[in-house]
Amino acid sequence: MTANLHMNENPYLPDEKIRRAAARGLENLNRYSEWKYLIELKTLLGEYNHVSSERIVLSHGSDMLLREVINIFSGNRKIIMVSPSFFPVAHYALKQASRLTKIQISPSDFRLNPQLLLNELDEPALIIIDNPNNPTGKILLENGFAEKILQNKNALLLVDEAYFEFSGRTFAGMIDKYPNLAVARTMDKAFSLAGLRLGYLIMGDYFKDHFSDFPAYLATPTLFAAIEALRNTESMMANVDKIGREKARMEIELSKAGIHVFQSSTNFILIKTKIPDFAKKLKEEGVVIKDMSGEWLAGYYRISVGLPEENNVLLSLVKKLIN
Amino acid sequence: MKKTGLIVNPIAGMGGSVGLKGTDGKTYNKALELGAKPTTPKSIDDTLALITRKDLYFVVAPGKMGEDFVRKFDFQYEVVSKIGEETNADDTKRIVGEMIEKGITLLVFVGGDGTARDIYDVLGLTIPVVGIPSGVKMFSPVFALSTAAAAEIINNESGQFIEKEVLDIDEQAFREGKLGAKLYGYLKVPKNVNLLQGKKEPSNVSKPEELSKEEIAQYVLEKMEPDTLYILGPGTTLSTIAQKMNVSKTLLGIDAVVNGRLVGADLNEKGLLELIKKYDKTKIILTPIGGNGFIFGRASKQFTPEVLKLIPKENIIVVATEDKISRLECLRVDTGNTEVDENLKGPVKVITGIKTETIIEVK
Repeated sequence: MTANLHMNENPYLPDEKIRRAAARGLENLNRYSEWKYLIELKTLLGEYNHVSSERIVLSHGSDMLLREVINIFSGNRKIIMVSPSFFPVAHYALKQASRLTKIQISPSDFRLNPQLLLNELDEPALIIIDNPNNPTGKILLENGFAEKILQNKNALLLVDEAYFEFSGRTFAGMIDKYPNLAVARTMDKAFSLAGLRLGYLIMGDYFKDHFSDFPAYLATPTLFAAIEALRNTESMMANVDKIGREKARMEIELSKAGIHVFQSSTNFILIKTKIPDFAKKLKEEGVVIKDMSGEWLAGYYRISVGLPEENNVLLSLVKKLIN
Repeated sequence: MKKTGLIVNPIAGMGGSVGLKGTDGKTYNKALELGAKPTTPKSIDDTLALITRKDLYFVVAPGKMGEDFVRKFDFQYEVVSKIGEETNADDTKRIVGEMIEKGITLLVFVGGDGTARDIYDVLGLTIPVVGIPSGVKMFSPVFALSTAAAAEIINNESGQFIEKEVLDIDEQAFREGKLGAKLYGYLKVPKNVNLLQGKKEPSNVSKPEELSKEEIAQYVLEKMEPDTLYILGPGTTLSTIAQKMNVSKTLLGIDAVVNGRLVGADLNEKGLLELIKKYDKTKIILTPIGGNGFIFGRASKQFTPEVLKLIPKENIIVVATEDKISRLECLRVDTGNTEVDENLKGPVKVITGIKTETIIEVK
């Protein structure tokens, strides 16, 4: 049995209705997607997030939107990010930023000290925070901290909420109050649409003004699947619930096996172990996890929560390696 | 043909399986008493089996230090030197010396941190090495990620090299669960950064190590103030800064410059104190040790508490490449003086490039 537990994907296929909707989107592949479907999707996303659909911009993958925000706003602002954070965006910021300040969060609590960030706001800044953080799975930003940032005239705050449905924590409710806030979301994770790539940005007024000409064409299968998924979110919520229960089980079992498990508010778990070549040994048995030493710390591994049977294979291999 | 040295530390790694952290000194005999078995044969066999290059001519150490492994494969080779029943660090050093005389242009070695130090003692930065990991302690980032990675480095060696740290881990402290690492030196390794320990960021997105050092050097130079004493700590990042200033710096020593001119080389505590007293303003520029993040108390013992008491915290400039800093949990100090350590603790801004910085805790 092989198990890919390294990409933070949802192990469950989307509901059959959603798959059929995607397939319907293939019927007119020679044509661009129709505008009315884009409007419908934005309307549904507005309802889902309790915001005006005018505040929403769509893209294939939320990382594209994060990059666009960096392109638009980093010219005369410094970027402030947490390290580690979602690596593709962190690398892009390193390339594009006119100035970049990283604030390192450290084991074992991976806490972001609010004062360290607030101290940096004496000049125009674009702050990008993934909340919960990837790869630690930790919530870094609380309401009070976010409001302190947003009340500073120099600050633009972009919160990446790719794992919102798992964490239940969002700042979308502040979007009408703060023009300098944007929230990035994806349907890749909880909605099981990673293969179709649907990301969106919920924008405060300042961001909205700069995104008016952002191209919005999406692939029709993506549009149709996303619309169907939002019409009935019950199957998504059921999958999120199942993943949550499996995560709790894995956390307990891994801890019992002597693995250091860090509390996560996502669909993945960060662990630390001294077992040599841990990821390599699991891969030899068909289980792929993310070895964080490639881009961050040695001995740390990120494991996506898989299907129960995949998780069982992982757990039995871990126990074997420890013994 | 490419003359390639091959030397194996046959006892490296034996302590690990019996719960000892290393096989230095008397621990080797204890490991044997506890039933430790050699781990190096598998490491070297695994690597040699994956080498596909046909242009290698091995110059190997005798018997269990090399010859026994190479002869199982279809390589051209010759054997240098002789060894007895038991081998030690002196054998490693002597044989590497003889390999240099034979004209090797690359040295493949199997062992741990201790072996890396023995090799550094003889080679310095003259000939590049590929370290096949097999010791108990391999904190030095000169080692390949795995035996397979070592083979890939050898197969694709392109003639480009970088310098990586050789660390000296205090084995006694390590056995007691404390990490005490000192910078011992640098070895030159092939620039296959994604295959080296602690160096695996994809090259298309990361900033190249040398560019990062150049940027740091440029930034520091632009910010340098006149008539200020700058004390430069050890390391290749600091060497790059010195090079930009056209100043000759000792790689592992502490040097000092004022107005772009060298005013002290390889300074000890006394030398540092004398210089600091001569100038109104002093700044220290230094880089943490890769892997454990020590800025004071390991690589540069010359920065004693007495020296550090004279330098305001804001005059300590920490520099590090993006790659090094992103792989550290925190920065560390252990000067031996609690008061000085406490004063140095807390968040610090580390310069990582001309436009980049990282705020990290000193613990």
